[in-house]
Amino acid sequence: MKVGKYEVLEDRYYTESDEWVKIEGEIVTVGITDYAQKKLRDIVGVELPQVGREVKMGESIAVVESVKAAADIYSPLSGTVVEVNEDLISEPELINRDPYGAGWIFKLKVANKAEVEKLLTAEKYSEKIRGD
Amino acid sequence: MLSTPLYDVEEKVGASFGEFAGWRMPMEYSSYQKEHMAVRQEVAFFDLSHMGRLRLKGKISEVETLVAKTVSRKENNVMIGPTAFLNDRGGFVDDVMVYKLSDDEFLVVTNAVNREKDIQWIRKNSSLEVEDLTFKYVMLAIQGRKVWNYLARVDLEPLHFKLNAEFMGEKVFLLSRSGWTGEEGVEVWADVETGKRLVEKLISIGMTPAGLITRDSLRQEMGFVLYGEDIDESVNPVEARYWVFSLEKDFIGKAKVEEYLANGVEKLRVGFKMNKGERSLPRNGNKLKLLDKEVGYVTSSTYSPYLSRVIGMGYVNSRNFVLGYSVHVEVRGKKYSVKLTDFPLVKVQ
Repeated sequence: MKVGKYEVLEDRYYTESDEWVKIEGEIVTVGITDYAQKKLRDIVGVELPQVGREVKMGESIAVVESVKAAADIYSPLSGTVVEVNEDLISEPELINRDPYGAGWIFKLKVANKAEVEKLLTAEKYSEKIRGD
Repeated sequence: MLSTPLYDVEEKVGASFGEFAGWRMPMEYSSYQKEHMAVRQEVAFFDLSHMGRLRLKGKISEVETLVAKTVSRKENNVMIGPTAFLNDRGGFVDDVMVYKLSDDEFLVVTNAVNREKDIQWIRKNSSLEVEDLTFKYVMLAIQGRKVWNYLARVDLEPLHFKLNAEFMGEKVFLLSRSGWTGEEGVEVWADVETGKRLVEKLISIGMTPAGLITRDSLRQEMGFVLYGEDIDESVNPVEARYWVFSLEKDFIGKAKVEEYLANGVEKLRVGFKMNKGERSLPRNGNKLKLLDKEVGYVTSSTYSPYLSRVIGMGYVNSRNFVLGYSVHVEVRGKKYSVKLTDFPLVKVQ
């Protein structure tokens, strides 16, 4: 759905810090939202987490570098990093071009599925960014 | 917040806006990297209406006291600059461009962030009459390697300008040659309605509109400073290696500048390049280290689309001014190697 000039996908969950989460069984894919990439503008670099790293919900896990600022990416759930998007090392602009697709950042094996309830639905996230 | 008078017409052609120096200005249209390469390979135009534009009237001797470069010996209708207003410690009150209209009338372009401060400073240090033209005219800059493929060649010497000239069929207040990107270019001041028509005309001939992010990446490639990041009141022209003064005459801050030249300075401005593939941007204040000893700091950086690497500038202690050698920059606690390089970082043909 469109919220102003920003795209919000209904098949995902969201965080207050503008990450999106796509759940497929025990594995979740994480990226930053269209809103976040538009706010950051041109993304020129990404620091990816180590595969195998265990993280807690809300822990800083990656950094997205834009010409405007460096933004911390927070893990939306607790779990273990099982895959990172290596394409972003040479093509960080994929996050600008396709934030919900080719611009995904990392995948987690979720430790505690109950945490999903703390995430925002597409509708709640839309409310958060509406009017901005 | 102030807003560019060209907001509506720029929004229509896809500008995304952001705040800079208290102004809502176009930051980019498509992607800054594309806009940047348009200047280096073709041509693009910029809205610079946020920059302060003042008309000074009065004695040229008073202008000489304010401005660090000589203006008296220049003929009329030439640009003098970049030059600077310095404080009595030799620090930058502002770096400015001066246009000499006659022996008693001058135009000055200030940084947006300093416009009001400059007006106060001029009034405090002279009896010159100051008129603020910033809101009366918009300012467009057209820059690029192939600018003359798009525009009829403008009949101007590089530093000359024309008042009340005709440009693309429109009457404009001022037309001048300028090249702050390292490429050829012109600068136009026009009233707001004419400015809107000019934007539409430039778009219609296929010119790329470019935003302030591109302006920043272009100026960094050339090694030009940004007030507030790379220079301020605490930095002098010798430290900045910004040769904007002339010692053949008196000006505010001259005694200090002479002292800095003769006795030396603590730090010097330098450019740097990171290795290809390193995509972390050092930010203002990040430390430069040599053999784990702090030797300087970063003032600005960007990703250069032309060089495909991170570039920037900062200051290094003058005793450790190892131009051509690599030091380390610390970004979020991690060390990256950067090569200290002289300006410009990009050599344009």
